[in-house]
Amino acid sequence: MHAPRSNAVPAADPVAAAAPAAPAAARRRWASSRAVAPYLFIAPFFVIFLAFSAFPLGFSIWLSLHQWEPTAGLAAMRWVGFENYLFAITDPWFQRSLWNTLWFAVVAGVPQHLVALPLAYFIQRRLKRSRNLVIGAYFIPYITSSVAIALIFSTLYSKDYGVINAALQALGGPGDIDWLGDAAYTKPAVAFVVFWRYLGWNVVLYLSALQVIDNELFEAATLDGAREWQQFRHIALPLLKPMIFFAITLTIIGNLQLFEEPFILVDIEKGVAPSVMTSAIFMYRLAFSDGDFGTASAVSWILFLIIAVLTWLNGRLFQRDGGRHGRG
Amino acid sequence: MVGADRRAPVIAYALVGAGALLLVAPFYFSFVFATHPRTAIFNTPPPLWFGAAALSNYELLLERLPFWRNFGMSFYVASMTTALNLLLCSMGGYAFAVYEFRFKQPLFALVLASMMLPAFLFMIPSFMVMQFLGWIDEPRALYIPGAAGALGVFLMRQYIGAAVPPELIDAARMDGCGEFRIFWSVVLPLVGPALGTLGLITFINAWNNFIAPLVVMRSVENYTLPLALRSMQSPNNTEWGALMAGSAIAMLPLLVAFFFSARRLVAGLTAGAVRG
Amino acid sequence: MFKLFPRLALAAALGLLAAAAAVAERVTITVATFPDLDRAAKAAVPRWNKLHPEIEVKVQSLQYADHHAAMSTALATGSGLPDVVALDFRFLGKFAESGGFDDLLQPPYAAGPLREKFVRFTVPQATNTKGELIALPTDIGPGTLLYRKDIADKAGVSEAELTQSWESYLEAGKKIKAKTGAYLLADAADLRDIVIRSGLKDGEGIFFDRAGKVLVEGPRFVRAFELGRAARAAGLDNKAVAWTNEWTASFKQNRIATQMMGAWLAGHLKNWLAPDNSGLWRSALLPGATYASYGGSFYAIPKKARNKAAAWQFLQFMTLDKETQLESLRVLDSFPALAEAHAAAAMDEPVAYLGGQKARLLWKDIAAKVPAVLVNKYDAMATDVMRDEFENVVSHGKDIPKALADARAQIERRARR
Repeated sequence: MHAPRSNAVPAADPVAAAAPAAPAAARRRWASSRAVAPYLFIAPFFVIFLAFSAFPLGFSIWLSLHQWEPTAGLAAMRWVGFENYLFAITDPWFQRSLWNTLWFAVVAGVPQHLVALPLAYFIQRRLKRSRNLVIGAYFIPYITSSVAIALIFSTLYSKDYGVINAALQALGGPGDIDWLGDAAYTKPAVAFVVFWRYLGWNVVLYLSALQVIDNELFEAATLDGAREWQQFRHIALPLLKPMIFFAITLTIIGNLQLFEEPFILVDIEKGVAPSVMTSAIFMYRLAFSDGDFGTASAVSWILFLIIAVLTWLNGRLFQRDGGRHGRG
Repeated sequence: MVGADRRAPVIAYALVGAGALLLVAPFYFSFVFATHPRTAIFNTPPPLWFGAAALSNYELLLERLPFWRNFGMSFYVASMTTALNLLLCSMGGYAFAVYEFRFKQPLFALVLASMMLPAFLFMIPSFMVMQFLGWIDEPRALYIPGAAGALGVFLMRQYIGAAVPPELIDAARMDGCGEFRIFWSVVLPLVGPALGTLGLITFINAWNNFIAPLVVMRSVENYTLPLALRSMQSPNNTEWGALMAGSAIAMLPLLVAFFFSARRLVAGLTAGAVRG
Repeated sequence: MFKLFPRLALAAALGLLAAAAAVAERVTITVATFPDLDRAAKAAVPRWNKLHPEIEVKVQSLQYADHHAAMSTALATGSGLPDVVALDFRFLGKFAESGGFDDLLQPPYAAGPLREKFVRFTVPQATNTKGELIALPTDIGPGTLLYRKDIADKAGVSEAELTQSWESYLEAGKKIKAKTGAYLLADAADLRDIVIRSGLKDGEGIFFDRAGKVLVEGPRFVRAFELGRAARAAGLDNKAVAWTNEWTASFKQNRIATQMMGAWLAGHLKNWLAPDNSGLWRSALLPGATYASYGGSFYAIPKKARNKAAAWQFLQFMTLDKETQLESLRVLDSFPALAEAHAAAAMDEPVAYLGGQKARLLWKDIAAKVPAVLVNKYDAMATDVMRDEFENVVSHGKDIPKALADARAQIERRARR
């Protein structure tokens, strides 16, 4: 695993290390072991997955068809069929939360990638000594604890005492924006925190994918007179497609389940809370405030459907462009 | 031509640098707040530089929680989860990337699907499974389920698909390598950056997860760090200074993990690549 | 001569056996609680160990929401439950209806006659619709108006003006704003919450009546919304929700003239909210002679608890023991729910933070007059809906009758089961 990666293509060290076997018999052995191999490789993963995820998944589907207040015990489940789903879809709060969620997904999600891609490229191509430091700086928001984020951002965003308002005032602008209290400003304020948190994560993902691209490609292009921007667009981007697909899928999945940032920044008891209430927060309230686990499960499956559709669309988008992302 | 290219980067460097400072600021503040007493944190303006209450906050923290015990538990669980995840997910991702087999599509769809449901709905059924297995209050209940991360399989599949050309595998096979050998000696060395990324991400997520321990742990000695720190939070009487001190210390291993894997992530300008 | 020896030996052996049995019988009970209430339990443990050495108490503490979520999870499966559960008022209605806790009116608890020992209004809070008493109260929050005497003096406003009626309260607020620049209150929503609770009598519910009908279009609510809107329109509130950083900072910055809250707020002000303002605050009745309570904590015993006898001992110790209740007062500034504790000498002590006012006597009186209102398991949900509609009224100019009608429709929709 620590072997230096070779520049040469196939048939170098690893093969020399393997014991050569008698061709015919070996080939037969390979044929059957090759058929079985994939199953063996995924087996450990799936055993654990099925044991610990399948049951909760199934339970959640089952639960979505019942009415259940958990404190009353398992026996208190009552069959209601699709009533929960109907209730959720026609619920004004759910509809509003869906709108909020999609808003956040776009406003916080798109910039993450628009900035992360060029940034990763820049770091890969231009930074040598300060590289780790810069990556670290951008990655730090991802590891900052929720408690710290809640406390510090509410201090920064404070209407009367916040640094942001102070800076704005110094620059001649209004100095009393209620960032976390006025609906018009709270949404962007929370979206910024989401962007802040996950930008570095995407940078790291893209950086790791950039390692796969041979630098000689870029050097050759420079010699041919291609400018930096052109190299980025025509060499790096196409080769990054598999990772872009991965990163965007994660953003879709993550943002559509957005819970933490709005929850910790805007106290659920604040008047402005409904304007940043995402579907996941709505689900949480249904489950733990209203005591309606059945509808909460139904909402999670409705959300799941939306995420699945968007992910599939995302996949089609990337497949159509002929991106080579390996076999299968 | 060359001159024009060289000018732009100065602005670029400036932007990147400013961005970095902006992003680090809250992290910096959490350490600053950790050194101030509770009443000072809510001053206006908030403290911008380190204060003198670091030791008293630390003592208060230790008084309230078996802090280092919780730290140890978090470290143990996160490390085990990471190690298991790296192995199982690279194997799984490899299979999905390289082989064609029956049920491949539906199985992968199942993996992806599990990522699309929020964790807190799993609380009750997870609890039921743990009760059944008798794993309540044991660290096993945290790192074994965590060993099968859907994210990991997805990431490894993408990466292996991109970084390992099929010709390489065919050639290895023809030269007599067994399937597992191909995986271990041919493919794994090529996906170092992905392993580094996956390890880092897994460690961070496992470290910060508080819902799983909330469901499974029953005694405060067995809480992981985020759960323990949360248990210090009262709706109206939190010891903020001590809490920030605890949070700051809790973030340090993640920083270390990052720098540890950054070396693996960044191969340097002269490193070769597999495909041209 | 030494027939004594075998008898001594026998006695010694029996003695050892008895001691061993006593030690073996040592029972351990787990008490699940949350901050800040956990401090009360932890402070009580040393005294408990002296009185009941055979019962060991383990206090398990989780964050407020985490704790109630964990209890829900445990109740859902009927396993992993502790022996004693601390419940906050906000979640009490839901847990009371759940059927997961023992009815303390039944033997072996037979807590029927014990009900009189507590402040009157707490008992219906812990009683569910089936008439079962599922918990005993340990602390209460008598609603009081804490105000800054120095700011009021500067504005020429007297306590009587502040408390006589809601209208006079708002008028006083305008004077305060004009003369000192301070806000009358932190959030107009606080005003709304209290006015909603005004004029209630024993046996009435806040949002729902006994039959479960939704009451939110009634005159209490209209008045609450109107007054709240008036306060916001006159710029009398800082729009800072309680316990947010904005709110805590306002106290330090002398920007808030009054705060309506449970009496325990005085303790928080003293300890960390505004320790420098000692002597400047006073405690008074809520305006318009309104009697209400904020929050409250209770202890209950789950049906599936393992050591119920020991749990019951501990429960009685925390709720019925005068010394423990007064200890909580000292440690937490939490006001005792036990009526007997109200007669203690500690009640007479002047409270230094409030300028030497004998505030506890005031709070005792308030506690006695709070009406015993009905609790409904959907109260928390109704509170959320009211908050949302109120925001529509004050921030988006929604019409009050329409807001209340929408609120009623929402609550009925969500309380459909």
